[in-house]
Amino acid sequence: MSSVNPSPDCAISVRGVSKRFGQTEVLHGIDLDIAHGQVTCVIGPSGSGKSTLLRCMAFLEEATAGTILINGEPLGFGQDANGQRVRLSPQRIREVRSHIGMCFQQFNLWPHMTALGNVSEALKTARGLPKAQAEERAMAQLRKVGLEDRAGHYPSQLSGGQQQRVAIARALACEPKIMLFDEPTSSLDPELTGEVLKVMRDLAADGITMVVVSHEIGFAASVAHRITFLDQGRLLLQGTPGEVFGKPRHPRLDQFLDTYLDRGAAMLV
Amino acid sequence: MIIDFTHIIEQLPELVRSIGVTCMIWLVGTLGAVVLGFFVTLGLRFGPWGLRWLLSTYVEVIRGTPFLIQLFLLYYGGPFIGIALDPMPAGLLGVTVYGAAYFSEIFRAGFEAVPGGHVEAAQCLGLTRAQIIWRIQVPEMTMLVLPPAINMTVILLKETAVLSIITVPELTFLMQAIGSQQYAFVEAMAVLACFYWAMVSLAGRIGNFAEKRLSKYTFSHT
Amino acid sequence: MSWKLFALLVQACGLTIAISAISIVIGLLIGIGVSGAMLSRNRAVSWCGRTFVSFFRGSPLLVQLLLIYNLLPVLGLNVPSLVAAVVGLSLCDAAYQAENMRGGLTSVPRGLLEAADMLGLSPRQQFWRIKVPIALRLTLPALTSEAIMIVKASSLVSVVGVVELTRMAQDLAASTFRPLELFAAAGLLYLITNWTLSRLGRRLERSFSWGIR
Repeated sequence: MSSVNPSPDCAISVRGVSKRFGQTEVLHGIDLDIAHGQVTCVIGPSGSGKSTLLRCMAFLEEATAGTILINGEPLGFGQDANGQRVRLSPQRIREVRSHIGMCFQQFNLWPHMTALGNVSEALKTARGLPKAQAEERAMAQLRKVGLEDRAGHYPSQLSGGQQQRVAIARALACEPKIMLFDEPTSSLDPELTGEVLKVMRDLAADGITMVVVSHEIGFAASVAHRITFLDQGRLLLQGTPGEVFGKPRHPRLDQFLDTYLDRGAAMLV
Repeated sequence: MIIDFTHIIEQLPELVRSIGVTCMIWLVGTLGAVVLGFFVTLGLRFGPWGLRWLLSTYVEVIRGTPFLIQLFLLYYGGPFIGIALDPMPAGLLGVTVYGAAYFSEIFRAGFEAVPGGHVEAAQCLGLTRAQIIWRIQVPEMTMLVLPPAINMTVILLKETAVLSIITVPELTFLMQAIGSQQYAFVEAMAVLACFYWAMVSLAGRIGNFAEKRLSKYTFSHT
Repeated sequence: MSWKLFALLVQACGLTIAISAISIVIGLLIGIGVSGAMLSRNRAVSWCGRTFVSFFRGSPLLVQLLLIYNLLPVLGLNVPSLVAAVVGLSLCDAAYQAENMRGGLTSVPRGLLEAADMLGLSPRQQFWRIKVPIALRLTLPALTSEAIMIVKASSLVSVVGVVELTRMAQDLAASTFRPLELFAAAGLLYLITNWTLSRLGRRLERSFSWGIR
């Protein structure tokens, strides 16, 4: 699939990305292309580096080596005239990042602002929209995730599922072309994951490019266009759900799925 | 502005004497405050309700009013109820009584931080209350109490400067006199500030050193 | 004690409260700036911040007041003693507030700032819109104790000639030869003021809890 050079036509193009924390090498030379409008699910055991990879795509972690292109533009590190790896300016990083929206495992809603405040904040502060307009757009997003009647509530007054939906609305308000999800339902009680997964399914149906790191194998199998399986910092498998989950399966994937049989992977057996 | 420090250096013997006074009041006052404060804490924990009411009022009043007002009450108001003290003893007593209220709060928090289970275990094993206090609670709370206690000790050093207002012959008193006599007030105050700053930094460093040394003996509670 | 005397004390107490309030507000503003400086990645800037805090926390307020009171005229600023007093109190307060705020700012969970990063907020916007409000709330209890400390510390401005509560009590005690009653009354007024501040602080903590009971 991948050429040696990153593809500028893809939504995200990752080439040779490695990441070291101190002495530990967490990612080993990952090559990955995410096409526009596709939903890609990154799965793998704990410690496989999938969250790290996602965070590198958002430049919340800095890859020790390799390139990441977002819509054809380099994120974080680029190349100077001599082909050397150089750090780009904060301004440039912010520009390229504006195409990405991120959803965190811990929601990360700001506690001192209401739901409406959280969703409209970036529009007001970072994009400079007048208050009325920003709040109108924010309300539209809250409506989309089904929480317009909770607009005046503070995060501490919302359930986990509601908080995560507000967080999704907050990211969507800036109209990113790509949405990244870092284990969006892992912090939720099982009864609450459904409402968040529904919002994500609707988003996928809208055609937005999504990269989802998750343990929800059922979701991955039914919604994703591509599955990527990471193990110990290496990209072991990728392909359509049919290709990856179809039998005969890679033994490592079988081993991994065994532990997740009760998490929705039962439908695959 | 001409900075002229020669005036200050001329008076070296007096300077040394007043630094001695400052340090003496600071260290003796702190020691007295620690001891008195500890007994106040004991009284608040184990005393009859009358004593507890008295002690908690004492702590509230001292912590809620300025040190200067307390000094004025003692030094100017004292003679009216039979306590006629010279500046130095008044200053010493003032620092002790002031510090004790704050130390008692520190020790109270320390007592409450010792896990109740440790005390219960000691009770089941038959230790008397005094033994529990001295053999279990005090050692365990020493590490926890050390940072705020060092902090309070430093605060008391700075408060000794206030004693100059009731004419205790400590350093601030002397420097004010030197400064106004020699028309070098700003220089004198600047030197004075730097002296305290240096003393406080030194005290802080000694405190950190003591903390590190003693932390070898910490028990990991939680 | 005659009501006239007490009324004079209460009036002077008003001045004490006013001086303290102004110093706390100015001190908080300067303190936020200084704490930002202390956390800056620029070594010179953070050194300046840390030295400021170290000096104003490491020397007695009395000495600072005497220094500033006598330094300002030398620098050509002939201000009334009240202004010099407020300047001295504010600077001292700022150092303590900066230390509190520094603790508060570093306690803001990193994830909240990562979210702000992803949404395109600049570092300055993150500081003022996210970090400072959350840090302020985290440090509200310390802020209340600080306010109480300033009210008590304001008694020292009596030495630079400001007739606030302590000075008024001193003057009245000297002229009526009744130091016990007057200083006790002054102490009572300080107690009432500080007790009120403490209650106010707790109410503030409740109103700014953002729905957390």
